Amino acid sequence: MLLEFELNGRQTRVEAEPTQRTLDLLRDVLGLTGTKEGCGRGECGACTILLDGKPVNSCLLYAAKLQGRRVTTIEGLAAADSAADSASGRGAEGNPPALHPLQEAFLSEGAVQCGFCTPGMILSAKSLLDQNPDPDVREIEEALSGNLCRCTGYGKIVKAVQKAAAAAQAAAAQTAELGPGRRAASEKSGNGAAVRSTKAKSAGNAKSDRRQRGASR
Amino acid sequence: MSAENFRVIGRGVARVDGVELVTGRAKFAGDLRFPGMLYAAARRAGIPAGKIRGIDGSAALALPGVRAVLTAGDIPGPNIIGILPPFDQPLLAAGEVRYEGESLALVVAESREAAKRAAAAIRVDIDSWEPILDVDEALADGCRKIHPDGNITFSKRLVKGDVEKGFSEAEVVVENTYYTSFQEHAYLEPETVVAVPGGDGRVTVYASCQSPFHIRGHIAANLDLPASRVKVIQAYTGGSFGGKDDVAAEIGCLAAVAALRVQAAVMIVHDRGESIFGSNLRHAARIHYRTGSRKDGTILAREARIYLDGGAYASESPFVTMKALIHAGGPYHVPNVRVECTAVYTNKTYCGAFRGFGVPQVTFASESQIDELAAELNMDPLELRRKNALRAGEANATGQVFDRSVGLVQTIDRVAERRDQLPPAAAEGSSANGGRWLYGRGCACLLQGISNGAEGIDVAGASVQASQDGSVLVGVGLTDMGQGSRTVFAQIAAEVLGVTMDRVTVRQVDTDSVHDSGPTVASRSTTVGGMAVYKAAREVRSSLVKMASLMLKCDEERVLLQDNFAVLAPRADNPEARIPLQEVATAAYWTGFPLMNLAFSRAPDARFDHETHQGKIYIAYNFGTHLMDVRIDRLTGAVEVLRHLAAHDLGKAINPLGVEGQVEGGALMGFGMAHLERIEHEGGCIQNANFADYAVPSIKDRLPTETIIVEDPNPTGPYGAKGVGEPPVAGTAAAFANAVAAATGIRFTRLPIRREDLLAALQGRDRGPAEETG
Repeated sequence: MLLEFELNGRQTRVEAEPTQRTLDLLRDVLGLTGTKEGCGRGECGACTILLDGKPVNSCLLYAAKLQGRRVTTIEGLAAADSAADSASGRGAEGNPPALHPLQEAFLSEGAVQCGFCTPGMILSAKSLLDQNPDPDVREIEEALSGNLCRCTGYGKIVKAVQKAAAAAQAAAAQTAELGPGRRAASEKSGNGAAVRSTKAKSAGNAKSDRRQRGASR
Repeated sequence: MSAENFRVIGRGVARVDGVELVTGRAKFAGDLRFPGMLYAAARRAGIPAGKIRGIDGSAALALPGVRAVLTAGDIPGPNIIGILPPFDQPLLAAGEVRYEGESLALVVAESREAAKRAAAAIRVDIDSWEPILDVDEALADGCRKIHPDGNITFSKRLVKGDVEKGFSEAEVVVENTYYTSFQEHAYLEPETVVAVPGGDGRVTVYASCQSPFHIRGHIAANLDLPASRVKVIQAYTGGSFGGKDDVAAEIGCLAAVAALRVQAAVMIVHDRGESIFGSNLRHAARIHYRTGSRKDGTILAREARIYLDGGAYASESPFVTMKALIHAGGPYHVPNVRVECTAVYTNKTYCGAFRGFGVPQVTFASESQIDELAAELNMDPLELRRKNALRAGEANATGQVFDRSVGLVQTIDRVAERRDQLPPAAAEGSSANGGRWLYGRGCACLLQGISNGAEGIDVAGASVQASQDGSVLVGVGLTDMGQGSRTVFAQIAAEVLGVTMDRVTVRQVDTDSVHDSGPTVASRSTTVGGMAVYKAAREVRSSLVKMASLMLKCDEERVLLQDNFAVLAPRADNPEARIPLQEVATAAYWTGFPLMNLAFSRAPDARFDHETHQGKIYIAYNFGTHLMDVRIDRLTGAVEVLRHLAAHDLGKAINPLGVEGQVEGGALMGFGMAHLERIEHEGGCIQNANFADYAVPSIKDRLPTETIIVEDPNPTGPYGAKGVGEPPVAGTAAAFANAVAAATGIRFTRLPIRREDLLAALQGRDRGPAEETG
């Protein structure tokens, strides 16, 4: 079947099998291998993508469900201001793209070790900050509770999300002072997390909360 | 070295491979694609023991997209893998099934789904046997032998002094039996390999792995090819923790055999279930322990008898046996120690290397004993530890004496100092909660031998090359699986060569390009691999300094290399007296000075008596002290960790940010072992081989770990460093058990101590007399 959807800011048409998982469409057909498979059962969050801005496990989502939707993968994050190149994850001329504040914060805070959970973790965090630019620790925990990490112990991940939130807030404040003429330019420079964040907190994480399982331990 | 004013060493730096990881550009093995690539999947036994009567792949072969079905007879070589003697694990079993994950046949097909479907369609005829499920059963007279030489995998003793005499002089003796469960590594990336036939008589295997040279050896043997025809390249590896050694060799061999058979690239990716039941776990242990002391707390004798359930194959059981044996005595000065440790075969998933390597199990037992002794003596547990703590110049349990880098007392003092700055645990709302919360504080000390030690020769190789532009390429034979060793190697090269971090590239391990450096294990990368980088970089530096001295017309002693310049020393602020390193490197090239060096770092050999394990075994030990405050909900058994201090003497923190990451991550793994994680077997088969039923800690379980770095320099490591990857696991698990005991007044002798275990014990106690678990 022919699917049409927005992928990392670009309209995409692709032929998919009716029973194909979104994860496989992205990785095997579209070459976007930044989305990882950790369990194939929706239990680890490594395959998290954003569907209309909300995190979902792409291993549990039929590709057919993408019809007409807006999809963001990790490849679309760094190059968010360069839609023409973002579908392939490449910045201009293959140079490292300007990183999203979350990506910067994950690096500088040491929130990345093996990096296998990182794309999903960052996308869950992005969805959180887009909806709630100033989350408290509980809200960060809630938003990332569907993403497992075995390396870091999570402490540095929480710090990274807090740092990115603070950076985006500071940038938003600065943007507000700049006035309308320069705001557009500033928005383009990659602080989208804050400037798109005026909506009320969404009904909730589209993914299951692992804590419910934890309660029965 | 330590007197120098470092520019890169000791600074918290971001991972050198971090941009690739946060952008999703990093290629893990499963992200690789080759034209015409096929997928392979194994038909697993699904039952834990039996005699194989027949395997019929004809129905599978007839399915669409299936290209081949391989069985034991298709392996050109001996069809055996193993980390060390006894090499006892078949790639594809033909005679017996020894555990549920036994691979009987391999299907090669055009897609993963087709391969899985076909694997399920293979008909196997197995005479099922009653599985041997525990250590006592396996050791009983007349028990069926799982391997020809019987059910004891490995058994060793450590004897120091005279324990009988020690106990006869003891005024207080504590004695108990402790148990720990199997633990799964649960790295987020499942095991993955891709084998690609070269067309030049060679085969290249890309692997998510820990020890590429080890894999190369096994692939060559099982293909019946010279090792030089096999190239193993480590892909980005999504965690390993000891786990991607045996299993990476297993699927690396299978993929290579399949790839050469069908002359196409073949990928094998484990699903999560296979990753749990089809690769090694942490050994479950039973430890009987006795400790005797004087009334003043001076420990006179310790005795432990340890049984490790190693499952169906030897894997690293022999070395885990030795490491458990050597560490069981704890980080104390004890004149009389006797330990026996025996690893046993059972019909369960095999056990092998897992971060800590036997040390977390014995540390839990040993440190529980110290707390039990402190209670008997009515002494402060930390004070009792300090009194007996090993100090420089004193003999440890193997009789080895270090005159430096024994920082245990410093870790105790730093923890005590920090503890005293904090309010006591019980102060937090204990009166306001109506007695609902039980507060407790536990501490634990530990030691962990760094690098191979008793496990054999300890060498690592590194290459360092400067280009004409002054940038630096580093290759090391040890792998980065997430722990950050590439970053540490880059820091060492940058420091020695006076370049900034962005000028250094550390390549992935490729067996064609660097020395066989042995396995990446035992917290040895920074210590032994870092030393090799240091040596190679020093040689390249000497070429650059020679060239710069000619250009600056000065003695070599006056040349400094820093911040991408060669600088004339006394006039460092004078721009006239410095030359860009790029110009120096270019001139060195055209002058014929070598800009590349291959160095080999060799640690002093272990020398010890194999009967008693007395002698010089490790090049250094990491020492640590952990303190944990918990509160437990009397009504639900829920545990909250209020505080966790983790102090480690690691010689020198080359990258403090990386050190914190290792400590925090290792701590949560230890907490999982102590509180959350338990492999559930039934009839020899694992019942919870998924992340819904096997409780890997989530972000809501994270600990408030505060890392305290103690630096007592290690003369055998670069800049005084010693490893820290493994030690936090043991410290956290043991401190948790002691904190729970302090909170509840109940000594739990079995890990994990889960919420339901706590609740059952608390309810039992409230109903009647104190009940021991275990």
